[in-house]
Amino acid sequence: MAQRVEPQATGAARPGDRHGGVAGVGDKALGAQVREARRRRARRARRRFLAIRLTSLVVVFGAWQLYGMHTIAILFAPITTVLHQGYLLFAHDQLGSQLGYSMWTFVCGYAIGVAVGIVLGMLMGAYRWAEAAVSMYVFALYATPMVALVPIISLWIGFDATAQIVIIALFVTWPMTVTVFHGVRQIDAELMEVSRSLRLNRRQMWVHVLLPGAVPYVITGATQGVAMGLVGVIIAELQTQLSGLGDALQTQSQTYHTAAALAVILLIMVLGVGLRAILGLVQHRAVPWLRIDRGDGAQR
Amino acid sequence: MASVEMASAPGDGRRVVGAGESGRSGGDIACSGLYKWYGDSAVVAGLDLYVAQNQFVCVVGPSGCGKTTLLRMMAGLASIDSGTIAISGRQVNGPLPSVAVVFQHYGLFPWKTVFNNVALPLRASGVAKGEAARRANDALTLVGLNDIGDQYPAQLSGGMKQRVGLARALAIQPEVVLLDEPFAAVDAQTREILQEELLALWSRYQQTAVFVTHSIDEAITLADRVIVMGTKPGRIVDDIEVPIGRPRSVASVRRHESYTPLRERIWDQLRGSSTAGGERG
Repeated sequence: MAQRVEPQATGAARPGDRHGGVAGVGDKALGAQVREARRRRARRARRRFLAIRLTSLVVVFGAWQLYGMHTIAILFAPITTVLHQGYLLFAHDQLGSQLGYSMWTFVCGYAIGVAVGIVLGMLMGAYRWAEAAVSMYVFALYATPMVALVPIISLWIGFDATAQIVIIALFVTWPMTVTVFHGVRQIDAELMEVSRSLRLNRRQMWVHVLLPGAVPYVITGATQGVAMGLVGVIIAELQTQLSGLGDALQTQSQTYHTAAALAVILLIMVLGVGLRAILGLVQHRAVPWLRIDRGDGAQR
Repeated sequence: MASVEMASAPGDGRRVVGAGESGRSGGDIACSGLYKWYGDSAVVAGLDLYVAQNQFVCVVGPSGCGKTTLLRMMAGLASIDSGTIAISGRQVNGPLPSVAVVFQHYGLFPWKTVFNNVALPLRASGVAKGEAARRANDALTLVGLNDIGDQYPAQLSGGMKQRVGLARALAIQPEVVLLDEPFAAVDAQTREILQEELLALWSRYQQTAVFVTHSIDEAITLADRVIVMGTKPGRIVDDIEVPIGRPRSVASVRRHESYTPLRERIWDQLRGSSTAGGERG
């Protein structure tokens, strides 16, 4: 308890020395230097990671190429053959339109899944009654492999694009809901208290606290949702009416065009990576307050 | 002091903090027969306290004496199990518009810029955009932070964050400011600087304030009156006027003849009232 601060020892405190608003000209120049050095370090680190990534790609694709060249074509194919087959599928087969179809159902199903997930997750997170009412179903469905529902969905809705969109939405929505729910719950209890103290009404609470606080989790959920949605696309296309990329995959592998099948798989992988990258950009723009911690000028 | 010079910048004598000089009535706090139980133990037991308008009261006490609970009840953030609190004659049963709170962990919204954090309570209570912006900027000027309005809290040091917290509280021109160990989370040096700035602010704009702390030095430095609370059950064990005039500075308080006797008196009270010796310093 006794916090003995000896006044003689330190002398009177001088406001502004360290944390005050006024920085001298020398301080500013020094600050600029420090920031510049930090930027240089960050640039170097980025270059190094890029180099590691490229090396890794060369090694993996090199191994693929070597192994593919020394095995039988029915089992595996070198990367060059796979890429060539992919080109042929685009140029002379229907891979382009199949990709378009898959993307269309993906976007519809994904959008529905994300929207439902945000609404459900936010309600469950913000209101205890909503959690009490629906959380058991959400967690039960979250724990259920959605593949198990596919035959039933087909029975109810049929085999067309609508059924596929519903299946994709189901794949996306439960992880989305759970992530957003936890996100809202993790908004700092002190901040909720602050909002009460500031006498925010319900609308203001949503606009200023709950929604912005949940944004990082919404984006995390949406990023996970990309992977789940792509799983949904392929399963839906294989299990209902054979169509889109699922059709391409099935046709090529059942006719032992292994290289072509691998090309389709590669395409799906690229889709996953690309869509995640897009969401990464969205995240960067949508949560400027989290960008700060990456060492560009923050003084923690 | 730099902060005082900053504070005088607006220059036209506008009332940014509630004005003691304008003869405004209200701003007093009357607690009577307060009880608060957590489980079977009374955290606050039969507490009576009257804080007059424009009085700066520090509440000190060991951990668990209910000082923060008392503050939270005044703020309308904790329910009152028995008894009443009236602020400016208005019964507290939820946060009052005339009361501002400064939180221990700053309570700033990380997704809002400094400026928007300070302007939020103004906008939320229906103040027009231009007026809110002007008052937010005035409040930031008062704490010497008017040039960092567009930064995010994560970019600030602890001391700066709490200055923003203070600016947000003052911007709404409250009748009463409640401060819950506001300087407990910053380092000792910054703490002293913040105390200095708070003293400077209060000598310009008198204002009813209840400041909870566990530091005896901080209490004597800042307060007109120190309330010492004891534990098990939480109650007032001493109520001491601080006979040190204003304006003050941290150093002038330390040099004052009554500083050491006061300090010893409070220290004895705390030792006597708390059997557990393990409280934080």
